Amino acid sequence: MSRRYGLAGRAGASLIFASLVVAALFTLFPIYMGVLNSLKTEGEMLTDILAFPSKLQFGNFADAFEKTDYLRSLGNTVVVAAVGLTGIILFAAMAGYKMSRTPGKLSGFLFGLFVLSMLIPFHSIMITLVRISKDLAVQGSTVGLGFIYIGLGVSMAIFLYHGFVKSIPRELDEAAVVDGCGELRLFFVVVFPLLLPVTATIAILNLLWMWNDFLLPLLMLTDSKDYTLLLSTNMLFGEYNNDWAAILASLVLAMLPVIVLYLLLQKYILNGIADGAIKS
Amino acid sequence: MRLTKNGKQTAALLGFVFPALAFYAAFMLAPAFGGAAYSLTNWNGLNPAYGWVGFANYAEALTDDPAFLRSLAFTAKFVAFMVVLQNAIAIVLAVFVEAMGRSKAWFRTIFFMPNMLSMIIGGFMWLFIFTKVSSYLVEKAGMAFLDRSWIGDPSYSFYAIVIVSLWGGVGYLMVIYIAALQGVPRSLKEAAAIDGAGAWQTFRRITLPMIYPALTIGVFLTLNSSFKAFDAVYALTGGGPGRATQVVALNIFEEAFGFTNRYGYASAKAMILFLIIFVITIVQLRFMKTREVEA
Repeated sequence: MSRRYGLAGRAGASLIFASLVVAALFTLFPIYMGVLNSLKTEGEMLTDILAFPSKLQFGNFADAFEKTDYLRSLGNTVVVAAVGLTGIILFAAMAGYKMSRTPGKLSGFLFGLFVLSMLIPFHSIMITLVRISKDLAVQGSTVGLGFIYIGLGVSMAIFLYHGFVKSIPRELDEAAVVDGCGELRLFFVVVFPLLLPVTATIAILNLLWMWNDFLLPLLMLTDSKDYTLLLSTNMLFGEYNNDWAAILASLVLAMLPVIVLYLLLQKYILNGIADGAIKS
Repeated sequence: MRLTKNGKQTAALLGFVFPALAFYAAFMLAPAFGGAAYSLTNWNGLNPAYGWVGFANYAEALTDDPAFLRSLAFTAKFVAFMVVLQNAIAIVLAVFVEAMGRSKAWFRTIFFMPNMLSMIIGGFMWLFIFTKVSSYLVEKAGMAFLDRSWIGDPSYSFYAIVIVSLWGGVGYLMVIYIAALQGVPRSLKEAAAIDGAGAWQTFRRITLPMIYPALTIGVFLTLNSSFKAFDAVYALTGGGPGRATQVVALNIFEEAFGFTNRYGYASAKAMILFLIIFVITIVQLRFMKTREVEA
């Protein structure tokens, strides 16, 4: 290590290690405290907030599970993300591929039109978006919310697909066309599977975005039976303002799916993040 | 023959682009242009009739709305802190983590973890730390330096918001900087070491210039995200006490969806936010891209 970085030997290396450990503890501290105290009774939390629970009890979780209508909220979140993700990947891959392959002004103009919006902050469109969504009757439904995510998400996905398609040899399309393959079949059978690496990146980035987005669901979902996990958690926080035992349990429940996903897929997630950021 | 081929090509292009374009036009383009148009009207949620008012909304926002101007100033201060701290910490973490052997993967996993969580969840969790845990530590562990009203006193809640935002954002940039560091050829660093360069010198003269393009991205991403900061503030302070920690995004949200429902006026504020982000990021990209070439 000291050879690699030319640091002042062992002392420097252990100093770096120690500071990383401190930073890691700091990073994990709030999560640790949340989990720890969600397993205590309110009384136990008040007497010693740092101590281990004397006896593991899951009453807070049962409480939070019921108050946030956990399974339904989870199901709603999955519906929103599934609709959004399917649409984004399918439509953006089709558009990005075709625009990348077609020369000419029209193609360039369309691509420009999609990229144009990448700098527009959500807050600049949200007010009018609420009105349009009411007019189009997509407000107040989880599927409708998924549709809106398609509209907001295709730009970046098209940008990434457009760049990636350039690395796929054109001869492949031409050979397929010679073999009598139609446009759509060519795309779905030949091209789309080749896009898998960038599709994975796009899936990860968009899934994280939709899963963790708070403001758009807050504006679009009006009925609490349609609430996503975040909205239910927020509602519980608003209603039981000082009942930290239940709140913490609901926070742990809300982050559980993401943390599990992260620990399983972290290699792909970390690569996808770096990839997506550098390319766009 | 040529013409039909071109015609077919155009038809195929439009066919493939149409689904994406339809959703994009309805939920992105229309609201974007609509927002710009509404910003020139007195549209509000209560009255179905509205008319053009020219730039009156803009004039009011910039001269006659102290809460909005305060939120702009608060956001500017927040952005400044975030751009410097988030990138500096992320670079240090990236360099340190890269210097590790087997523990590298562990540290990377841990530091990135908060990015997986919504800042609503992270914000509530930190609220517990800032209110319950910190007062416990002051009382029982005698950590007097924590004895502040982290949430109730705006001069401290600013730092609470910065801490939580850094906690949630640093790992993302660290991953980008790690990717950049891995692109720095080892031979360059070894050559510098042979020439007698110390660790700091190698970092300053070799590593930093080599990862400058990543720095451009890092600063760009931080500018973009912190001007739009909403979730962490919403969860931690809700903009309070009063409106003391209100960021611009929260101010716009409150104007539109709070009690006044002044959609036209809020649209004008949103346009102002867009223009600020647009101008600052363009200037930043220009400035840093030219320096990239030199470095």
